[in-house]
Amino acid sequence: MLEQIRQWIERRRAGQTGNTAPENMPNPKTPGDQLLSECRLIVLDLETTGLHPAKDEVIAVGAVAIKGGAIDLSDQFDLILKRPELDITKTVLIHGIGPEALTQGHETEDALLFLLEWMNGDPVLAYHSAFDQKFLEKTLKAELGYTQNHTWMDVADILPAFFPDALTKGKGLDNWADHFGLEVSARHHAASDALATAELTLIALNKARKNGLKTLRELHDKLRYQRRLKDIHRI
Amino acid sequence: MAAANQDTTRPQNTRSIMGFLQAHAPFSNMDDDHLAHFAEHATLRFYADGDVVLSAEDGIVNRFYVVKQGRIRGERHNEKAEKTETTFEISQGECFPLAAIIGERPTRTLHRATGDTFCLSIEQNTFVTLISESEPFRDFCLRGVSSLLDQVNQRIQTGAMASIGSSISLSTPLERYAHRNPIVCSPDLPIRKAVARMHENNVGSIVITDDSRHPTGIFTLRDLRTMIAEETCTLDSPVRQTMTKNPCCLRAHADAFDAAMLMAEHHFAHLCVVDEDNRLIGMVSERDLFSLQRVDLVNLARTIGTATHLRTLVSLRTDVSRLVDAMMAHGADSGQVVKIITTLNDVTVRRVLELNIKKNDPGIPFTWLTFGSEGRQEQTLLTDQDNGILFQTPEGMTEDQVREKLLPFARVVNDELAECGFTLCKGNIMASNPKLCLSDREWDDWFVRFIDASTPQNLVYSSIFLDMRAVFGPKEQLDELLDRVSTRVRKNALFQKMLAGNAFQRKPALTMFRNFRFVSEGKKHSLDLKRQGLAPFVEAVRVFALANGVKSANTLERMDELVEKEVFEAKDAAAWKDAYSLIQAIRMRSHQEMLERGEELSNYIDPDDLNQLDRRILRESFRQAQRLQQKLEVTYQL
Repeated sequence: MLEQIRQWIERRRAGQTGNTAPENMPNPKTPGDQLLSECRLIVLDLETTGLHPAKDEVIAVGAVAIKGGAIDLSDQFDLILKRPELDITKTVLIHGIGPEALTQGHETEDALLFLLEWMNGDPVLAYHSAFDQKFLEKTLKAELGYTQNHTWMDVADILPAFFPDALTKGKGLDNWADHFGLEVSARHHAASDALATAELTLIALNKARKNGLKTLRELHDKLRYQRRLKDIHRI
Repeated sequence: MAAANQDTTRPQNTRSIMGFLQAHAPFSNMDDDHLAHFAEHATLRFYADGDVVLSAEDGIVNRFYVVKQGRIRGERHNEKAEKTETTFEISQGECFPLAAIIGERPTRTLHRATGDTFCLSIEQNTFVTLISESEPFRDFCLRGVSSLLDQVNQRIQTGAMASIGSSISLSTPLERYAHRNPIVCSPDLPIRKAVARMHENNVGSIVITDDSRHPTGIFTLRDLRTMIAEETCTLDSPVRQTMTKNPCCLRAHADAFDAAMLMAEHHFAHLCVVDEDNRLIGMVSERDLFSLQRVDLVNLARTIGTATHLRTLVSLRTDVSRLVDAMMAHGADSGQVVKIITTLNDVTVRRVLELNIKKNDPGIPFTWLTFGSEGRQEQTLLTDQDNGILFQTPEGMTEDQVREKLLPFARVVNDELAECGFTLCKGNIMASNPKLCLSDREWDDWFVRFIDASTPQNLVYSSIFLDMRAVFGPKEQLDELLDRVSTRVRKNALFQKMLAGNAFQRKPALTMFRNFRFVSEGKKHSLDLKRQGLAPFVEAVRVFALANGVKSANTLERMDELVEKEVFEAKDAAAWKDAYSLIQAIRMRSHQEMLERGEELSNYIDPDDLNQLDRRILRESFRQAQRLQQKLEVTYQL
């Protein structure tokens, strides 16, 4: 991962990658007729210093990509942005990257630019995605002034939409992981949670295919419908 | 700390996949760099229950898979039976499809997911890179699953080996052990000169040969001792007067196990090794076979066979257990070990009978029968008595009069055998039971009723009485009886079908979902290796054996004969024999461990106590039992 970023930064400094200003990053894609069996989806999980987007910060980003209905482990993102125990508020340490490879003082910017480029504007899935979405958008805006919105989908909604009868012991990631007998290697590690979320997504996509759902739009619409149903029930 | 730092250079998910792989063969033997290469190039896919993972229609196989969670079953369509058969099962940590990816061809088997299944897979070029760079991986892929079985056998041996520290294998051909150019002499040589020749060459025996080098006798230091003690002849008499005539001979290609068994049976310490024309080419002594004196099969058999008190016999039983440990260390497989145990048990039973006849002869010749596992020569250390008596009624006596004499005698023998560690049979299947102390005519009637009027209760006894063997006394009457039983069973299709139905009830310890099925009664989380593991094989094989006129009672031998009679396919029988032997090996190892801990022996094990490899082996072995039962189901339309 770090090696990839180092190479990316070097390429950028050498001017090989064209203009990498935030406004030139890949545009977020809207859910259209992309086939679920082919398109690339980002499954992401953030580690933060706390639960409040207003005052807490992102510590680590873990993400994997689903492509062609499979998790491709050569295409993943696993980076610690900040070490809270060091309590260095602004000088974010990107663990393991030697200073000579970094533009001094711009470590977070570089890492987030790389993340944006890696995400490629593809739809983002997360477990309880509202949380991750707020933190990531806040961080991107603060660090890069980036304000475009990706398409976000909540895996916590997707699962009950396709497995309405599943008897999970609760609504958390752990409950669903238990339900399907997944082994999560290091719970609460961003990358590990992202992988578990992605595995659950694969299970849901398998079911979606069998239910006749083909495109990203159909999936997106089903979730919106599901959410509305839930809101009605709440009232 | 250095290692930890190094570790963090790899993403968490790569590390966790490496960790997963490391728990399974062959990955456990691979370098970290190779594992990382695998993990970084892997793709993770999900298959719901019943989804096709790989099929012939996919064309030439271009990915190599490892099951991360769930199971994959292989399906082949059986054209004859018009149905689909499960040919294999792949569980967590196992790889597929080996033969197809190496042969660069499509798979011939439909691979289907059983339960929610995740598979890691790599592309062919990554597979090729790993094969060419990692030796353990290459070995594994090219040797296929057989290396897995090798590993298990190796482990069973090294486990027992720890206490013995030697590596002689009992399946090594005899010629490796045989002393070439044994010391020989002619029958007319005076004993004095023969002993001098032995002394010069520092050996304990001399073979007496005729002019064409055929061994005609053997003379040992023990013979010399007896001769002097009993003053049977002088040192100047020719050696032929005191030699043991017709010495035991084995061909050079026989293995050390054959030799050990022959020695144990006849209490000889020396064997002649001969060529095809019966010419002497070498000599094997007990000492050669077991260079460590602790493994003392022959001596133990001899000590048991000549013991003069019950006390001695009882104390010798602990030696039998130690011997089993040593045998396993020397590479005897479970089939060999159970035969050794049976041989030693036979010697004990015979000796108990002989001592009692000496003390209190009932005066009526009889044949001592054994049934069940002892009849099948499949005894382990945990064994109870299943025996009976077959006699011919002397003229002028009624059968009840004979019983009056034999039953008290049998009662004492049963009790003494119990003291020797053969637990009294709870079902009273013992020679002291008047119903099992019968004349040949009565046994005949008994079997007629048993076979022709087969009731469900009767069938329970089939596993006992249809595996019968003579341990002591004349064998001819039993052979005749067995012939008649065999003919009767073959003629009676209904009995066969009921027998098959009964065998079919013995379900191997696997659920529909291929998880272990635990015994319901009392013990949670434990498997009964005898009833849920071995019995399904034993019972199903018995049905086929009886229906096809196979004479032997031993399950492995029955399978061999069934292959000869073309009832079983050789490949199937080989898999079933392997599976049966592996369950037996796991059972015996657990017995040895219980003995070490001073626990009472039982057939229960908790699969969680086994390592992953043994668990997989056990599961696959149980699945083989299910396949055998499927054959039963098809054959008898159950």
